Amino acid sequence: MAGVSLSRWTMSYFAAALVALLAAETMMVLGFGFPSAPVEAPATLVLVHVVALGWLSLLLCGALFQFVPVLVARPLHDNHLPFATLCCLLAGLVLLLCGFLQLDGTLEGDWPLLPAAGSLLALGFVLVLYNLGRTLWAGRPLPLPARFFVAGLCGVAAAASLGLIFAFVLTGLATAPPLADLAASGLPLHIVAGVGGWLTLSAMGVSYRLLAMFILAPEDRRWTSIAALWGGIGVLLLAVGGGAGAVLLNADPTPVFVAAALLAVPVLAAYGHDVIRLYAKRKRRKLETNSLMAAPALISLALAAALLLALLALGQMPRFAGAVLYLLAFGWLSGLGLSQLYKIVAFVTWLECYGPLLGRAPTPRVQDLVVESRARKWFYLYFGAVWFGTVALLAEQALVFRGLALLLLLATAGLVVEFVRTRRLADVAIGPQGQDVPHRPRLLCALVAQP
Amino acid sequence: MSAESDALIERVTEALRVVIDPELGYNIVDLGLVYSITAAEGGVVDIVMTTTTRGCPATGFLKDGARDGAWAVPGVEFVDVTLTYEPHWVPEMMTDAAKQHLGFA
Repeated sequence: MAGVSLSRWTMSYFAAALVALLAAETMMVLGFGFPSAPVEAPATLVLVHVVALGWLSLLLCGALFQFVPVLVARPLHDNHLPFATLCCLLAGLVLLLCGFLQLDGTLEGDWPLLPAAGSLLALGFVLVLYNLGRTLWAGRPLPLPARFFVAGLCGVAAAASLGLIFAFVLTGLATAPPLADLAASGLPLHIVAGVGGWLTLSAMGVSYRLLAMFILAPEDRRWTSIAALWGGIGVLLLAVGGGAGAVLLNADPTPVFVAAALLAVPVLAAYGHDVIRLYAKRKRRKLETNSLMAAPALISLALAAALLLALLALGQMPRFAGAVLYLLAFGWLSGLGLSQLYKIVAFVTWLECYGPLLGRAPTPRVQDLVVESRARKWFYLYFGAVWFGTVALLAEQALVFRGLALLLLLATAGLVVEFVRTRRLADVAIGPQGQDVPHRPRLLCALVAQP
Repeated sequence: MSAESDALIERVTEALRVVIDPELGYNIVDLGLVYSITAAEGGVVDIVMTTTTRGCPATGFLKDGARDGAWAVPGVEFVDVTLTYEPHWVPEMMTDAAKQHLGFA
């Protein structure tokens, strides 16, 4: 069985995603969108979708195009399709942001931007589903982490479908009462399907496999892992399916969401138990930066769950939902994403530059492409800014939050510089360097002569 | 097995120490990724090896690296590298030196 190939466009997804992250953080610093603007303001919609689609979804798509083939030991169904997919998603995102700005008159004109954006984004995600779905299908029976991806893909299908309904109803192109009901009350469903289903279930799948692989931990299949998978699917079905049912029956969906939140607690406990066990049972005692910095991301998930429960108990969830989502998006999902990106960028770069030299010349290790001590400082600053930023949101101190967002932006920019230095082989001191490397990496795509 | 074959296997083993697993950052011999090396008459060398993870994108490079590394050894006329996942690699297969390098628990 030969190794699977490198995904040529994964690096392009990462680059676009990082630009979106920097853009979102700049918006927060400048006071564009929540918390400086109301939750329902078009500026907040712009900010939220730059984070959810531009940053997190593109990051996850790029990672899955590389990672799913590794997981199922099968090549990606179509290695060319990710470029067309990226074009659809990026064009859809730009139109979506313009459509939001059209809502409050910032952009003039009566072009149907939102339906066009929704259609392009839906097409992009259909291509993602098709390409990854065919790859997963060929790799049956699926290992446990891959089953999380299947659940995550169902989540993105639900989130994209709801988004498409919102776009058509908002612009008056769809008037059927059930669709209008969903557009009026379905925002929590859209958020749960996107953040909980697509992003969180997929991130859980990634962490099960990558953590075990990088820290040499046993990957035995345990009942807690299976409980986390099926429980996670149950939460998604209850919140999105049950919530949609309640909305369509003109009933209050709040009890369904509360039940889903309560069901999520044992699911996250099972997942947390597994992750702690992975770290405890690891053979590789000295942790590298990517594994070390996954820990504060996982802690952020636990903190977000505790905060969610506390706010539900106090009846304050609607008021502070932004703080929970911020901690989930920037602490858990972005934290995990950046920590794993730190390793993936170096690994892909190594394969491009030094893979063809194996056996012919001494080569550096993947770790020799990075300077971990430098990157760790940026990670500490990043997580500190996220956690204090969450406190600022809970204290409703918008100005303090903007100051902390500046630190967040600084930390992210520092990490982006580290990623670029890795791609440029700027820190390599062992083996062939500079012009002696036969395959110099390009910044935005991976070109490799695969054996 | 002749002394000549033994000496050739020893030289090939040493040559394979140039080939590292990129992630673990240690040579494939001491990581236990090389399951067997045999040498037949006429400098024909057979290597059976594995990777730490099935489907790893570095698999092709590791296999080619082992082939090229062995082929560069004087006396080697032909190299065949077979990849296997029977048995699956586990960290316990590493030598003491590799375990120490990785801080193996």
